[in-house]
Amino acid sequence: MAYLTLSKITKRYGDALVVDDFNLDMEKGEFVSFLGPSGCGKTTTLRMVAGFEIPTSGKIILSGDDITSKAPNQRNVGMIFQAYALFPNMTVAQNIGFGLRIRKEPESAVTQRVKEMISLINLEKHADKYPYQLSGGQQQRVALARALANRPQVLLLDEPLSALDAKIRVSLRNEIRAIQKTLGITAIFVTHDQEEALSISDRVVVMYDGKVEQLGTPSDIYNFPKTAFVANFVGTLNTANAEVVDPAKGLISVDGVQFGTTKDLKSMKKGDQVRMSIRPERFSFASEEKKENVLDCTIENITFLGSIVRIQVLIGNTKFYMDTFNNPFLELLKVGEKAQVTCSRQAVLVLDSPIEATSPQKDLLETDGILGSV
Amino acid sequence: MNLLSRFRKFSFWSWVWFILGALYFLIPLYATLRHSLRMERDVIGFRAYERAFADPSFLETFLLSNLLAVATIIASIILIVPTAYWIRLRVPEARRITEFITLLPFVVPAIILVFGLIRIYSSPIGIPFTGINLLQPLTTTKLGTYTLIVAGYMVLAMPYMYRSVDTGMRTVDIRTLTEAAQSLGASWFVIVTQVILPNIRSALLSGALLTFAIVVGEVTLASFLGVDAFGPYLFLLGQHRAYEPAALSFVTFLLTWFAMGLIQLVTGGQGQAAGAH
Repeated sequence: MAYLTLSKITKRYGDALVVDDFNLDMEKGEFVSFLGPSGCGKTTTLRMVAGFEIPTSGKIILSGDDITSKAPNQRNVGMIFQAYALFPNMTVAQNIGFGLRIRKEPESAVTQRVKEMISLINLEKHADKYPYQLSGGQQQRVALARALANRPQVLLLDEPLSALDAKIRVSLRNEIRAIQKTLGITAIFVTHDQEEALSISDRVVVMYDGKVEQLGTPSDIYNFPKTAFVANFVGTLNTANAEVVDPAKGLISVDGVQFGTTKDLKSMKKGDQVRMSIRPERFSFASEEKKENVLDCTIENITFLGSIVRIQVLIGNTKFYMDTFNNPFLELLKVGEKAQVTCSRQAVLVLDSPIEATSPQKDLLETDGILGSV
Repeated sequence: MNLLSRFRKFSFWSWVWFILGALYFLIPLYATLRHSLRMERDVIGFRAYERAFADPSFLETFLLSNLLAVATIIASIILIVPTAYWIRLRVPEARRITEFITLLPFVVPAIILVFGLIRIYSSPIGIPFTGINLLQPLTTTKLGTYTLIVAGYMVLAMPYMYRSVDTGMRTVDIRTLTEAAQSLGASWFVIVTQVILPNIRSALLSGALLTFAIVVGEVTLASFLGVDAFGPYLFLLGQHRAYEPAALSFVTFLLTWFAMGLIQLVTGGQGQAAGAH
């Protein structure tokens, strides 16, 4: 039996369906991220686990105990907020010891635990400072220590890194993950930052419009997106409308250019419309030994992005992007030159839910800077 | 930064408005002080002060008004802090109606309030047609009258107290602090007393000071309810004596300023701490 179960969770505000049939089983010590754009229901789901919202229907079971309707202060759940939420009238040590004093633990035990927690977050020199005397990163570490001091059964993190600058965000997320692993605590992390979610999670739940789009390991989510939304939201992606040419051989065509795929197309028939996608890094310039998916192209544009070089190629009538590692000693092709690119059959993904070129979903994604080609 | 460069930071017109504002307050104060020192012909002295302090009624009424002010402040905090907190947290849509209600004392004169109180609470309150009395007349006993006057003062001080508390709560993220405390296992009582109140301490003290000033100088409610408070005493004194009321007004003013200074001293650092967050 799972340590934390969210079963058929639904949340409505009046007529608005905010979370729709959410299901998740988590093991003890697992780190799961809820990833999605603003308004997808990820924070509402987290708040239902915390007890700040009560599900309209469904159950939340924590360690065999039904906590669905329990008050927040009756659940042993620690929460970290985007705005730190440290008590301004208390010092670092008082903030960390707050929950323990509420539980009326002996003062000696409180002092000992506070000391442990301060040492865990490396803020020994700041124990007597007030929150306003600390930087954002330090305040969030104190919030982490305060939440952990109570030995919660689950740690909930509601976009805890969003208010911090880029460098601190990366170092603090690694620190959070390291502490979570050391203590073996079960954690749910809410974020709209795909890099954050993919880099520190055991599993990722991608949400859109109140629904779970895909649940899987970071590698699964990135390499094998199941829906058009996941494919577009996570990472950079080429997408195009395609037509099934030969279901038995796994062949599809984009504007007359054939691509082979490992996707099982046997349930489809010739002429069916599908949505295909290829990650830019899965393209490479064709070498002689390559036999499959060797495609003629014209170089349209070259963009230097530091560690990688992004090349826009025209394959048939469709623009695709390919990424190659930057190598200063390698001479790149020039714009307007003809070339051949290739990709493996595994790299050609056929998505479960085709989207139309003019759908609002696509417009939204393109404004987010995700590549698309139609 | 030295003092001179601090002063130079402000423009000429800032100084003009500041000086005009200061004169508006200081000239009447100076006039009161000057008047209070000239009780004896051609002599500047403290005779008016000596006579005012020698009257035992001064101390009695002043102490009573102070006690009533403290009672009003405590009762106002008990009523207004949880109300303003709950409105901010759970029923923000009720803010407009609450603000309207708290502004009513500016529109409805104190005389109407006191007659309303006397009319309702000077006879027993019971369930109609049953002969059962729920409340005995309050105006017939001292404790009852004091309860009535404190309730009346709470109404008069409400616009100031509510606004102070509400503004104080606006400066801290009440919702997130509440949720953080809840997730750490705190009950509502603990949240209000250990998290909310300490973080709005400056605002509470400002509201308390304004309430104190209103109660100590209030005349209408005390006169009609027959309470020997400082306001009616000062009023009566003013009808019979020329210099003592000026002396007492000046002393009361100084006491209020002293209290303000004390509040600034006590809360200055803490208020800044909360604000900086």
